[in-house]
Amino acid sequence: MTNSTLMMNRRKFFATAGLGATSIAMHSLFADEHQGNQTLVPHHPPTARSVIFLFMSGGPSQVDTFDPKPELTKLAGRDVPESLAKNVPRIKRAGLANLLGSPWEFHPRGDSGIAISDLLPKIAKHADELCVIRSMTHRNPVHGPGECVALTGTSIGDRPSLGSWSIYGLGSESKELPGFITMNLHTDGMQFPQAAGWNPGFLPSRYQGTLVDPAKGIMHASRPVDVSKAQREQELEAIQSMNRSFYSDIKLNELEARIRSYETAFRMQTSAPELFEIAEETAETQNLYGCNKAPTREVGRACLLARRMVQRGVRYIQIRVGGWDAHGNLKGNHDKMASRTDTPIAGLLSDLKRTGLLDNTLVVWGGEFGRTPTMEGRSGGRDHSPSAYSTWLAGGGTRGGQTVGTTDPIGYTVTERPVKPLDLHATILHALGVNAKRLIYDHHGLKENPLGVTGGQVVREVFTST
Amino acid sequence: MVSRVLPFHPKVISWVLLCIPLIVISLMMAEPGRGQGLLSNQWKRNGLASERFTINGTGSRNNPLRRSLKTPFDGSEFFVRFKLRYHANSLDSPPETSGEFFVLWLDQDEGNDGSPHAANIPNLGVHVQGDQNRFMIRYNSSNQKFGESIEGDRDYAIVGRLWKSSPEKQQPFDQLSLWIDPTGSEELKPDVSVQSQQSISKIQWIGFSTGAKTEIEDQIDVWDIRVAKSWREILNLPAEPADPNYAPDMPQPPTKKTISFRKHIYPILKKHCYDCHSGEDAEDGIRLDTQDEVLQHISPLLHSESQLYQVLTTGRMPPEGPTLPGGEIQLMADWIDEGLDWDAELLPTPIPVSNHWAFQPITRPEIPAVPSKWVCNPIDSFIAAKHQQVGLTPNASAPPKTLRRRLSLDLHGLPPRPETSAETSEVRSMLSAPAYGQHFARRWLDIARWAESNGHQHNRARKHAWRYRDWVIDAFSEGMSFDDFVHQQVAGDELAPYRPAQLIATGFLAAARYSGNELDKQIQRNDILVDITNTTASAFMGLTFECAQCHSHKFDPISIRDYYRFQAYFVPGQPQNLVLAREENTTRIAQKRQTLFDQVEQRVKVTRRKQGYPEPILITPTNVIKQMRPKEREAFKELDGQLAKLDQTWGFYSPSTASAHFTVAPHEMRWQLPHMASVLSKLRGAILIRGNLRTRGPEVSAGWPLVFGPPPTEHQTRRDLAYWLTDLQNPLTARVWVNRIWQWHFGRGLVETSNDFGAQGQPPSHPKLLDFLASELMNHAWNTQHIQKLILESSTYRLSSKHSAENVRIDPDNRLYWRWTPRRLKAEAIRDSILEVSGQLDHHHGGPSDAHDSKRRSIYLTQKRDNLPEQQVLFDSANGIISCSQRRVSTTALQPLWLMNSGLVQNAAKKLAIRAGTIEMAIRIALHREPTETELQTLGQLAKDQGLSSACLAILNSSEFLYIP
Repeated sequence: MTNSTLMMNRRKFFATAGLGATSIAMHSLFADEHQGNQTLVPHHPPTARSVIFLFMSGGPSQVDTFDPKPELTKLAGRDVPESLAKNVPRIKRAGLANLLGSPWEFHPRGDSGIAISDLLPKIAKHADELCVIRSMTHRNPVHGPGECVALTGTSIGDRPSLGSWSIYGLGSESKELPGFITMNLHTDGMQFPQAAGWNPGFLPSRYQGTLVDPAKGIMHASRPVDVSKAQREQELEAIQSMNRSFYSDIKLNELEARIRSYETAFRMQTSAPELFEIAEETAETQNLYGCNKAPTREVGRACLLARRMVQRGVRYIQIRVGGWDAHGNLKGNHDKMASRTDTPIAGLLSDLKRTGLLDNTLVVWGGEFGRTPTMEGRSGGRDHSPSAYSTWLAGGGTRGGQTVGTTDPIGYTVTERPVKPLDLHATILHALGVNAKRLIYDHHGLKENPLGVTGGQVVREVFTST
Repeated sequence: MVSRVLPFHPKVISWVLLCIPLIVISLMMAEPGRGQGLLSNQWKRNGLASERFTINGTGSRNNPLRRSLKTPFDGSEFFVRFKLRYHANSLDSPPETSGEFFVLWLDQDEGNDGSPHAANIPNLGVHVQGDQNRFMIRYNSSNQKFGESIEGDRDYAIVGRLWKSSPEKQQPFDQLSLWIDPTGSEELKPDVSVQSQQSISKIQWIGFSTGAKTEIEDQIDVWDIRVAKSWREILNLPAEPADPNYAPDMPQPPTKKTISFRKHIYPILKKHCYDCHSGEDAEDGIRLDTQDEVLQHISPLLHSESQLYQVLTTGRMPPEGPTLPGGEIQLMADWIDEGLDWDAELLPTPIPVSNHWAFQPITRPEIPAVPSKWVCNPIDSFIAAKHQQVGLTPNASAPPKTLRRRLSLDLHGLPPRPETSAETSEVRSMLSAPAYGQHFARRWLDIARWAESNGHQHNRARKHAWRYRDWVIDAFSEGMSFDDFVHQQVAGDELAPYRPAQLIATGFLAAARYSGNELDKQIQRNDILVDITNTTASAFMGLTFECAQCHSHKFDPISIRDYYRFQAYFVPGQPQNLVLAREENTTRIAQKRQTLFDQVEQRVKVTRRKQGYPEPILITPTNVIKQMRPKEREAFKELDGQLAKLDQTWGFYSPSTASAHFTVAPHEMRWQLPHMASVLSKLRGAILIRGNLRTRGPEVSAGWPLVFGPPPTEHQTRRDLAYWLTDLQNPLTARVWVNRIWQWHFGRGLVETSNDFGAQGQPPSHPKLLDFLASELMNHAWNTQHIQKLILESSTYRLSSKHSAENVRIDPDNRLYWRWTPRRLKAEAIRDSILEVSGQLDHHHGGPSDAHDSKRRSIYLTQKRDNLPEQQVLFDSANGIISCSQRRVSTTALQPLWLMNSGLVQNAAKKLAIRAGTIEMAIRIALHREPTETELQTLGQLAKDQGLSSACLAILNSSEFLYIP
């Protein structure tokens, strides 16, 4: 697709969005079209400027974290009662024998009294900031496709990720950093990250999430050690001179975009390495995130970087923490994962709050699915279960201290207010000021939007008082 | 599996829970409530403690543990199961001591603590016989049988079956059988059985009894006590599948049919429904006069779940007038439950008629007579005719040096060697160079969504998939005709006589992605079939079939039946590692390996079942191998080693239709695809209603979409599909292919949506030119290079890229080809060109893929899904997941970062500097021209200040280097 047809699509999009093609904002928008570094006009006043999606890969168990089930403890060792079993979807892995009680106790937390387990005591202290959706549900019990469902809406993995849609719709506020950054941590065992989770699908590839290793920074953003800034400036001048001359005869938009991309790249060479200088932060802040010691160091650094990215205008930050796949030894696995994540995530919430950033930063926590209330084999672990699982949102205009949806007495299936991943996507985009149904991309004549053919609805109670 | 364990009466549950864990004293007192003060209501437990009862003897008759059924059972067969552990020091045997007694009884009555059950009450357990304590079943002392003797401190699983030889309610339960540690396969072989006509005919209570031989200090553990109505339920076995691997666990239609569509159903539909719901303009688009459309509104064989039944029974339909009489509704219900009988003579499926351009026959158009010197061949005539129509003046021809560069980058994906001269006659030799095959193969691999791993989370490598990549390269290099190209890829395993290359070609089908971690084999196979169906349709026919997977296509005349009929071509096969050599010995090795594997897997399963693992018991291949005994593992490794030495390919094989038998070699994945040829050949295609695997509709046989003519009557194989695709009457195949060729040379197809020639796709910019090329292709025996030569020798191809304000006003996007539109090199060509000009490119071709730091051409780098080479991802390569007919070109700041800072380009700049020695030479090598004055100045200064390699870096970053000029 050429740039001009893309612009046409943008025009169509704005016409659809009811903003009118004469809007003044449009001009500044087109001027920087090719880099996707502009902020487009949202559909409605946003409540969040940035999103931090803490993707807990592997599938944290809902009944051991955010969905208390006293009945499960009572029924431990028994089979799933017939009355509940009949509602469990007929999917593989949905074991019905030998219910496994939670090894962790749940307690009401904060003023709101939301019950959260002892597994995540520090996050639990933020209960009054959390909006816990206990009724997340879909049908795919396999990690790879499940991850695609959670992050792109369908299991195939060919559609744009939510982050890509976000920057397609809104661009980035940063001129120097990518609008969508993803960090993959603790890829334990077999849980390889699914590139679909940050891929642009049918959107142009500039909307792809930039994969960043928190320890190393953005790939190739630093000059080689033997290249001075002066040398680079001179090189850039030579490159741009050649590129301008090549352009002048041909005058293709694409070639003009290339010239600009070098300017952005040059700025990134300074700003990107600076982003990763967490030594600039006080020791107190670094400790708050657990950057100072194992086992929190890795997630802590990523969470602190996420805050620094938010401050620099990065639109969408995804942190994928692998390892929650508690097939054998639920207790051991989840204790380990909690020891890695509880402090950093709680630290992130505290830090965002005290800096005022939480007001316009939406933090999302959740996995690709939850886990069965039954024991898997005799392993003392739980198998995958997408039928009901918990996800929470904090900040970015959401109302903390509330729960949405309910599950059955053992946490196996949703009983009230089912929320599909695409509903969650619609909700996150809504917080960013985007009406997902009106965010259109013309894909070979097919008017695509982030919700696809199955659609999704904003979970409005997330935002409003009930 | 749901174990339909009979529910116990809730009151009794709490009673049992309350009392049993207490020690025997309270039980002896026969006062259920006692002891409440000592313990709270229930034990607080988590799932790591199970319900386990410890029973002590009393030295006399006692009934310490009993429970009632919710409702009395008088059916024909009743199973009971419990786990038992006799503490070793509790076991005493004659002659010194009296021996043991402990049984489970089944009775109509509860009995009391201490009071014995009457004789002729079936019971099973442990009793002394001679000087041994043995397992025992009995009705009374003359109808009793003994099994093996019991060991102390060992967990036993005991299963009892009480049944009636005459199944009537009032008949006695005259048969009693016992299994000790059954594994699942012994249903017909109990360890002991006993008969007695003196028995109960109804069961209301079960419980355990101790006796005089069970002393106070004796300790017996029982747990996991269950009852059920069948062997499978009591052992928690999965439901017996009709077919071990993929049989859909769907309700089966009754064998006896009572409903005739013509006689019973048609009159009802005609009277109540057809006024609105028939014909093309049916109300709300719901029509009930074709079977395919009715299918959309029912759930197969389940009337209660069917929308059609629901609207009738709730009276929502018909909208006016009374609800249908009960008798008619019942007929409709039976009709659904019996499988939706239809009368195709009475109501045939309407043949769709389409006037869409792409479905019309290809006719060779007149070549327009355009008096112009510019016109060099028929292509130019069509192009020039349009120019004249809209008043465009085409650019002059590009200078020879530019053309030289254009041809080289376009045909080989590499810049020309600086020493070669610019002569157009080279086209022929350029089309036979290996570099041409290596460059064009990549485009087809994009379309074939080819990659070298399964994809998804586990993403195991497909070690032999590279052979298909080489096959595609060879096909282009050797100028294979396109019909042959189609035949081999669609049906290589079915073509006779067998040639290894043809089997390798089926790698096209086998490139489907699937999750190796998918336990549900039906889903796994369905994913593969959907992938293959959609890819085949778009690659060869340029049609987007995927909508019709769930519902008849809204825009194109493709019905859901058409979709599944097309899919049925692929149903009997699946992707496999196939051994290329056809020797009986290899088959034996593969079989031996598989048998050994299966045996061990089965053994581990049985062991785990005995250990009480719940069903289904799943063992990963790695674990199966771990569990092998040393000798087995040695044999297994030996067999594996023998197989590994054989040349294999990742291909698609359908044992029932293939031209020969092929040996299937193992492929590493978490949960394997089923491997039995016998299973594959039995599979039938079926319409999946709303695309849902769980709502399997009528079976369909393979065939093409109806819009292309009546379906074939004889049995169809993929070979038939391949020949149908390349039939000269097929309106799509040739058009789609020449359009792709055009796109590859000009950056944009005559039909821009080159994978969608349907109603949603773009119409062609030059319809006559498209048809001319299509007929030219077929007239020249599907010779791809003939079309390429026409294109390369045309004036249209040789236009300069110069901007023209006048032409831009008329045709800003150059849709009518008044100039050459420069386009960025593909990701692979960017890397390859950088390596080439810096003298590093390793031209060695063919063979297994290389690590990403290799210096070979990019097409030889490992293409693992989700882990493609870095520069491929940066510069918009295909993702190897879905068919990609047109890569996008995006421009991001990350690209310059890679081009300026990555080790690969930094290093290449240094190498180029050494190779060239001067700015002039560096420009000649990289850009194939002389430097300009400005360049000499800027780059010269840069070289002087920072070194020649710094200037070379600038050259490698220039748009001119990265674009086809």
